[in-house]
Amino acid sequence: MILLCGIPSETPLRMVISRLEDMGAQFVLLNQRKFADCDIWLEIADGEVTGELRIGRDTYELEEFTAIYPRLMDDRFLPELAEEPQDSPVRSYCRSFHDALTRWMEISPALVINRCAPMASNSSKPFQAQLIREQGFLVPETLITDDPELVRAFRAKHGRVIYKSISAVRSIVQELSDEDEERLERIRWCPTQFQAYVDGTNLRVHTIGDEAFATAVRTDACDYRYAGKQTGEPAALREVILSEELKEQCLRLSASLGLEFAGIDLKVTPDDEVYCFEVNPSPAFSYYEANAGQPISAGVARRLMSAAAYKDQAALVQGAPLEAIVAI
Amino acid sequence: MWIVLCSATDASALWAYDGLRQMGLRPLELVTAEALASAAQWKHTLNGGAHLTISLADGRSIYSSAIRGVLNRLTGPAPEMLQRAVSSDRDYVQAEMYAFYLSWIYSLPGVVINRPTPLGLSGPWFHPSEWVYRASRAGLPTPHYRLSGRDPMDEAFGTLAPAGATTLNLITLCGNVYGGYVPASTARGCAGLAESAGTDLLGLSLYLNRDSRWTFAGAMPLPDLTVGGTPLLRALANKLTEGVRA
Repeated sequence: MILLCGIPSETPLRMVISRLEDMGAQFVLLNQRKFADCDIWLEIADGEVTGELRIGRDTYELEEFTAIYPRLMDDRFLPELAEEPQDSPVRSYCRSFHDALTRWMEISPALVINRCAPMASNSSKPFQAQLIREQGFLVPETLITDDPELVRAFRAKHGRVIYKSISAVRSIVQELSDEDEERLERIRWCPTQFQAYVDGTNLRVHTIGDEAFATAVRTDACDYRYAGKQTGEPAALREVILSEELKEQCLRLSASLGLEFAGIDLKVTPDDEVYCFEVNPSPAFSYYEANAGQPISAGVARRLMSAAAYKDQAALVQGAPLEAIVAI
Repeated sequence: MWIVLCSATDASALWAYDGLRQMGLRPLELVTAEALASAAQWKHTLNGGAHLTISLADGRSIYSSAIRGVLNRLTGPAPEMLQRAVSSDRDYVQAEMYAFYLSWIYSLPGVVINRPTPLGLSGPWFHPSEWVYRASRAGLPTPHYRLSGRDPMDEAFGTLAPAGATTLNLITLCGNVYGGYVPASTARGCAGLAESAGTDLLGLSLYLNRDSRWTFAGAMPLPDLTVGGTPLLRALANKLTEGVRA
């Protein structure tokens, strides 16, 4: 059985739901906005996790779930809590329910796309960059400092320099300008990241299982997500086919980070060097699927179904006579 | 150069610093979170490799290229660092500083006990449910564990040992157990748990169950090092100088 968690109208989740329906898969949907009508408990004994998840009037044994796709938004900001005081029992239950649900996913034997622990590498971009480099990718030359003079020297060396946040807090990638240099004294309060600008073509590679979907993004903006704002022109997206070598390298990178599903941001220079900027562990792939027509949601659905099929086949083999096992 | 990275109030780390110095580990620098908070200059670069330079306010400079080993007991940037930010920016600064610390500590060369992870600067801080799961998988007896969406979240973090039970605190370092005698199977389980958590050093709490078996009660990557006494200090010194001797 497949479990999907999140808000069903959220585009990536809605797309995966549609694909699973198209494929005739059995799945259960946990709408986190209806948390008040859900419950979960688990027990751990002899290295096994057992328990139950109740969604409305239906109750499922946790062991039934072979694959999970959590697209949970921060439960503290659910619309259902907007009018609740900070100390309300509803707010408290919402937090503890989501916490228990997440704790279960961290230790469940099911395929989870993705667990929280491996996703956390993205909470520090320069930390993740070191892991990325260990997998053979180039990373942009980077300076993190609280000294304006070092930044000026870095800019003088590289010409074009960009700056952005290094934590999971989202920021818009900006190019360092002369006006920015005038306010560089502010970085004395908090070391800030600057990177040499890398010229080339943006590539977003979504890896899921052993599949990779690559999208080329053509724009003059530093941050193609905000191309309209930064250049007045939206980014142009198109499907590209990766070389087998680069595809394998991307799959290895995702696997090394423990990610079943990842959005890898690459840039290919005019000299065919491949730089990796970061790996997004919770990719909002719908933007790429809608603009380049790649079947990423179908890839997610296939991966979820493959885990379910594997469990079913394993159960079949365990209870089958020898001749049947050979036939399988 | 070797470094003990810790808070100025971490008595256990200060004990280890004194002990390692007495064992002849030199040059050994004590670098506190508070000293880092008032550093005069930070420079952390990534290019072909990762490098770090910190100029401390007391005149000392830390160059990553000169570091041979680190005992890392940091849990995060000192609160003083966050106080400089206006209140509306404080959450952002906290996230940024944590991300920065994770990167520069991870980049340090040589032996780092423990290397930071996104789940904790001095090693992973798992939820009790995950510690129990991992302990059980590592072969340690575990108590009956139950977690419910109805449980108050704070209650999950107490000891798993029953009230009045005989307890024992141990430390594992690179496969060996310090702080008390336990049967070989228990020692293997403790070492297995540390390996599963990806830490060189791990503190464990055990209790004697009704069958007189040492049973898992909790784990943390930042234990009281004095539990391990001189044998642990000696092992730490050996581990920190391992690469140098090789």
